[in-house]
Amino acid sequence: MSICVSADKVLEKFILSKKDLESSFNRVPDQEVKCAFGMQGICCRLCANGPCRITPTTPKGVCGATADTIVARNFLRAVAAGAACYLHVVENTAANLKAIGLGQSDISLKGTRLLEELSSKLDLPGNNVGEKAVALANQVIQDLYRPRHEKMELVEKLAYTPRYKKWTELNILPGGAKAEVFDALVKTSTNLNSDPMDMLLHALRLGITTGIYGLGLTNHLNDIIWGEPRIRLAKVGFGVLDPEYINVMVTGHQQALVGILQDGLSTSEAINIAEKAGAKGFKLVGSTCVGQDMQLRGAHCQQIFAGQTGNNFTSEILIATGAVDLVVSEFNCTLPGIEPVCDAYGVPQICLDDVAKKQNAEYIAFSLAEKDTIIQKVIETAVERYKKQRPSVKVDIPEHGYDDVVTGVSQKTLKEFLGGSYKPLIDLIIAGKIKGIAGVVGCSNLTAKGHDVFTVEMTKELIKRNIIVLSAGCTSGALENVGLMSPSAAELAGESLKAICRQLEIPPVLNFGPCLAIGRLEETAADIAGELGVDLPELPLVLSAPQWLEEQALADGSFGLALGLPLHLAIPPFITGSELVTNILTKDIEGLTGGKVIVNGNVEDTVNELEAIIMAKRAGLNI
Amino acid sequence: MQRIFINKSLCAGCKNCEAACMAEHTTHRSLWLVNLSDPSNKPNNRVALDNSGQPTPIFCQHCDDPACVTACMAGALTKNPETGVVEHNRDKCAGCWMCIMSCPYGMMHTSGVYEDTAAKCDFCAERGTPRCVSSCPTGAITLRTI
Ligand code: SF4
Ligand code: SF4
Ligand code: SF4
Ligand code: SF4
Repeated sequence: MSICVSADKVLEKFILSKKDLESSFNRVPDQEVKCAFGMQGICCRLCANGPCRITPTTPKGVCGATADTIVARNFLRAVAAGAACYLHVVENTAANLKAIGLGQSDISLKGTRLLEELSSKLDLPGNNVGEKAVALANQVIQDLYRPRHEKMELVEKLAYTPRYKKWTELNILPGGAKAEVFDALVKTSTNLNSDPMDMLLHALRLGITTGIYGLGLTNHLNDIIWGEPRIRLAKVGFGVLDPEYINVMVTGHQQALVGILQDGLSTSEAINIAEKAGAKGFKLVGSTCVGQDMQLRGAHCQQIFAGQTGNNFTSEILIATGAVDLVVSEFNCTLPGIEPVCDAYGVPQICLDDVAKKQNAEYIAFSLAEKDTIIQKVIETAVERYKKQRPSVKVDIPEHGYDDVVTGVSQKTLKEFLGGSYKPLIDLIIAGKIKGIAGVVGCSNLTAKGHDVFTVEMTKELIKRNIIVLSAGCTSGALENVGLMSPSAAELAGESLKAICRQLEIPPVLNFGPCLAIGRLEETAADIAGELGVDLPELPLVLSAPQWLEEQALADGSFGLALGLPLHLAIPPFITGSELVTNILTKDIEGLTGGKVIVNGNVEDTVNELEAIIMAKRAGLNI
Repeated sequence: MQRIFINKSLCAGCKNCEAACMAEHTTHRSLWLVNLSDPSNKPNNRVALDNSGQPTPIFCQHCDDPACVTACMAGALTKNPETGVVEHNRDKCAGCWMCIMSCPYGMMHTSGVYEDTAAKCDFCAERGTPRCVSSCPTGAITLRTI
């Protein structure tokens, strides 16, 4: 059997041992022949005269659209879809915060200190916690629903000031987020906009809505509901599965939804039910970003949360351990490929948000008012699978993962860890002991050298060169499962970074958690820039989403570009069919925002290029 | 005589030739309607990656000295002296798969429609220009008279 390779050799061996399992890893070879028109973004099927594809002998679509127009349209559509995904998440999160604030649920807010901080920073009304929660949620929802000609109000209050000025100057301050997505679709429909530059600026606007609302505010609102991150050691990998428990695997991005299971499955009634079925209790098993989020806030759900198992492409394999009793999903990345695996292992699926409705999943529309009914349903379904299927399936949990992953790193905890200011880190950078910072973020895919291969190889090379790595997204799932987020990874770092890590007992790769935490990482960058008194593009900081997978990553990337950061991708974002679009995104945009896209599929060359940028930025700061 | 010439450096790997061949061998012949999820729709051609990752169209060569014809004991495979096309006669085919094993290009295959017989490129016998050639958007495969 030929399968896609993984950076995680234990995982790879486990996959090969499961002869009957068909997963994404097996399908990679089958899909190896790709369509060049799709890869280059020059296939248009916006109208019935198409699909049109651009070739040397057919340089225009039937309507006259050039490669530049077609590529820009496709790119903006993808960014709009990605932004829409994150905006959906923040909207649901705000709706739940509001319901809790209104007293419509018995959930009590765990992050009231942050709520106080934010309401004074944002100048929001409210005499008590409930009123303040409602005011904050309302402000977010109002901004999302503004018409496009009204600017969103929180951007100015939350963005780093020099950036806000830059965005004003470039005229890319976003109007209502949903309207921006909506008009991106209008603009890219048949025979409307043909101006690549206008479409790329629109993508930047969507990037800002994604970053400040979809990422940043989702984090803040969830911190208020479920508690702020705290630095601690955690267990990761398939080894977190305990067959003596009834295991509920969660996939998605919305802790605001699945978070109700944290308390719901820990009550003494729930434990009694589990015990009657012969188990010790229930465990929530983290998979994809929602698991990373639970891990980040793990200090608040230590008992019930088993730990994070991996990333998007480990989810099919996780089910094949036989120890999963139920999959509860609410968003991506819930691969269609999990369904036949669930069927084969008799694992039921429940979906809480129809945007991620799986064909064989039972859909229960999430509503905070129905919280207890949902919890009841989850308990019953998982218990039934445990009783009926567990005795007959082979439970096979490989020895996989690490017990000492440093988690709970956020813009705030990192600062607290450093003694209340970024000065110690800045001093180390100035002294050259840490050359610079690389944010290794985004997804995991199976095409950039294999599952997580590019991510892991590049990260190892970066730390070897004394560049500290901050990770957020499925990259975290990759890096923690190969040991790079455990303190012992210090040994792989260059001499000066190694010494620092040893002294502080931290790994050279800091785990910010899910892709949503790209927002935290960018707040960290703004804090550092603030302490230095410079704008973001001046920092010796680079971003890389080496194994980007999906449209959401392109929306994240657009935020990175709006922030003025260099952004590396190992695989082009379907733009190479247009020289103009490629030149704008990889060169000209630097003159506008300060950021640019770097496409490089070779690890060594990439790290050379990123290091050179860091060195040039250091020189710019005279350090 | 006509043959399909292959210039693999132009091949974009879009598999349009595969889709076209499948469509051509269904009753409606429609690219809009050909069921690309139906495993009984098998193209008579193939796009594979060569060692350097370059997509490479692979077609029946309608060889001058066809190994498949030599291997066929049932006389189902013959080389048409007029057109040069290697033809397969399903009625004579014994389903022994000797041709499948002998073709150096792997261009003989089992028919998806009739399980018990072999199948191969028929050079789009019912068309002027082979459907794959007309469907190739890059000119990687072209028809030439030799
Ligand atoms: S919109 Fe233009 S380029 Fe696109 S399919 Fe129609 S004619 Fe072709
Ligand atoms: S020439 Fe015709 S029959 Fe032969 S592979 Fe091409 S489309 Fe199919
Ligand atoms: S089927 Fe194979 S052996 Fe026969 S003519 Fe075609 S390429 Fe040659
Ligand atoms: S058009 Fe060219 S690239 Fe596409 S499948 Fe045919 S031969 Fe291959």
